[in-house]
Amino acid sequence: MSFNNILQSIFSALFVASVLRISTPIILPALGGLVSDLSGAINIALEGTMLVAAFTGVVVSAYTESVLLGVIAGILSGLLVAAILGVFHLHLKTDIILAGIAINIMATGGTIFLLYVLTGDKGNSSSLASGSMPFIDIPLIKDIPFLGTAFSGHNILVYVSFLLTWLLAVFLYRTRLGVHLRAVGENAEAAASVGINVLLVRWIALLMSGFFASLGGLNMSMAYLTLFQRDMTAGRGFIALAAVYLGGRKPWGVLIAAIIFGAFDALSNQLGSLDVAPQLVQVIPYVATIVALVVYNIRQKAVALERMRSFQEHELTAQQAVGD
Amino acid sequence: MRKIFANAAVREFIRIVLAVSIALLLGLIVTLLVSEDPWGAYKAFLLGPLSKFNRFGDWIEESITLIFVGLSVAIVFKAKQFSLAAEGQLILGALVSGSVILFVPIESAFLRITVAVLAAAAVGFIWGVIPGYLKAYLDANEIVSTLMLNAIALKMYDYFLTYHIKPEGAGYTASDFLPKAYQVPSFMPKFAGNLYEMFSKQTNITHFLYIMIAACVIGWFLMYRTPFGYELRMIGANIKFARYGGINTKQVIVLAFAISGIFAGLAGAHLAQGIHNKLILNISMGLGFEGIVVATMARNNPLFVPLSGLAYGYLRAGADIMERSSDMSREMVLVVQALIILLVSAEGILPVIQQRVNLNNGKGDGVGTAAVPEGGSDVIQ
Repeated sequence: MSFNNILQSIFSALFVASVLRISTPIILPALGGLVSDLSGAINIALEGTMLVAAFTGVVVSAYTESVLLGVIAGILSGLLVAAILGVFHLHLKTDIILAGIAINIMATGGTIFLLYVLTGDKGNSSSLASGSMPFIDIPLIKDIPFLGTAFSGHNILVYVSFLLTWLLAVFLYRTRLGVHLRAVGENAEAAASVGINVLLVRWIALLMSGFFASLGGLNMSMAYLTLFQRDMTAGRGFIALAAVYLGGRKPWGVLIAAIIFGAFDALSNQLGSLDVAPQLVQVIPYVATIVALVVYNIRQKAVALERMRSFQEHELTAQQAVGD
Repeated sequence: MRKIFANAAVREFIRIVLAVSIALLLGLIVTLLVSEDPWGAYKAFLLGPLSKFNRFGDWIEESITLIFVGLSVAIVFKAKQFSLAAEGQLILGALVSGSVILFVPIESAFLRITVAVLAAAAVGFIWGVIPGYLKAYLDANEIVSTLMLNAIALKMYDYFLTYHIKPEGAGYTASDFLPKAYQVPSFMPKFAGNLYEMFSKQTNITHFLYIMIAACVIGWFLMYRTPFGYELRMIGANIKFARYGGINTKQVIVLAFAISGIFAGLAGAHLAQGIHNKLILNISMGLGFEGIVVATMARNNPLFVPLSGLAYGYLRAGADIMERSSDMSREMVLVVQALIILLVSAEGILPVIQQRVNLNNGKGDGVGTAAVPEGGSDVIQ
């Protein structure tokens, strides 16, 4: 396959569709990572939360033969994991990073363990008849040649992830609670001093984070695939954390960053036939994240310096005014 | 009696033993619920590593890796820098040390092995300087940067192994075995006769055992007997205070990341040269994260790392044996492990236990003492 063929396949509708499909399980936990990060707690446990939700969704939907119950159970299990993190971090004063790591370990071990107990197989849940979330054809768009293939006929969570990004942006920047949440993350003591219930806000942020991550997990096991595999999240929870920073800690930025990760993943699949090692392509987003992290922090520093300077100038003029 | 409990280290020890016991008890309950032969399974788990000589060897080998990684994590965590870089440093350490043995034409076995081990340490150091610099000078979140560096290291390892190291035409992705003449010798000296025969035939415990012991002593000396160690602990206790006290916090942080990388690199060298004697795919499988458990149980003190490394290695080896000899899967130990981290690191649990201890000793001021913040034993000694 020549280079031209690769280019052709990249600019095809199918490629766009596959990017969307691959990005969704990164977008959803990334939104969760964003919420908790903005509230001042870095949620390492996204990965484990996704796994638990993915597992619970499959098992419950298989035993109740209801996709809806599976999804609800999956979300509840994700909230439960977030609550465990909350109890240990917010009440028992465990460091959130250690608690997050512990939860990830427990999720990996616990899901494999229970999978083995339930099915006698440690690899996947193929013996369970689990459900799949609905796929949506968008009327009108589905009949347009390029757009139809690219954007229609996806799993419902693909669309939900875009909708949630918008809702999250509204929540964070247009609601009282959203502003409080960001204030707590910026400076918890200052927030407390103006009467914000810091503990409550942090609890809400962690639970929201668990909600988003559990949707990401359900997307893995009940949409992207329709079974549970051991370690099926394969580091997506950590990539999601990176997307938070690559996206400049803003909802739409995070969405775009997650899609960039998805695009490189899809690209490395395409390159399999060309004489380029897939590892060399897969490594690009990680390097890009580090570069983005550096750029973001340099900018933050510049902004902080600028603010300090203008504040000092302001104070000086105020003093002079008093002196006069 | 009361004097013993007044000692912070003793209290800490009791707390960790309690945490491990609770976790093991929960493991037993799970086993009782699930297994057809719970007692047999749990016995294999708890006594397995001592049941056969080669199993004993597996335990010690695994523990050596864990202790190196634990040391690496302890040093950087002591400064309250949550670097997760050990995984990547370990992978690159394995890659570099294995490659040196395979491809660098140094005649003398001693020299080639030494160069390989030093190269692993050096690459770990470099892979630590990067996130350290980013954290200290640019305030870049170390968790994200180290996770990215881990991913990059893993892709590099896969790339070199698949395209350059794997022998041509091999059906599997792994290197050749390291040449016999250039393998690290058994830790038993040859003149030990029978013992040497036993250990070198049935186990892979090599000279890395001595390197590990030296590393623990050096780690402890560095942390508790040098200015660098003092500054490191100050930064961990209160970074603002440390900066105010005139410590060059940036420099110390970069060094902490880098030195921690040396130990992780050595862990990688032990995997390549001590355990597998070749480079294989997925050589680490999350060992970097296991190091966090070891360091947490040792409360980030290099002298306690061997204890917690051996204890934790024992659990892991026991779980392997349990899986082979019963209907329980080894993943149960992951749950036990997670519980240990949660219970040991939950500083909020400490005052409760302390209060009980004091009350049991019939002292009215128990509640008062309990209220004194212990800083989770991370008190500067």
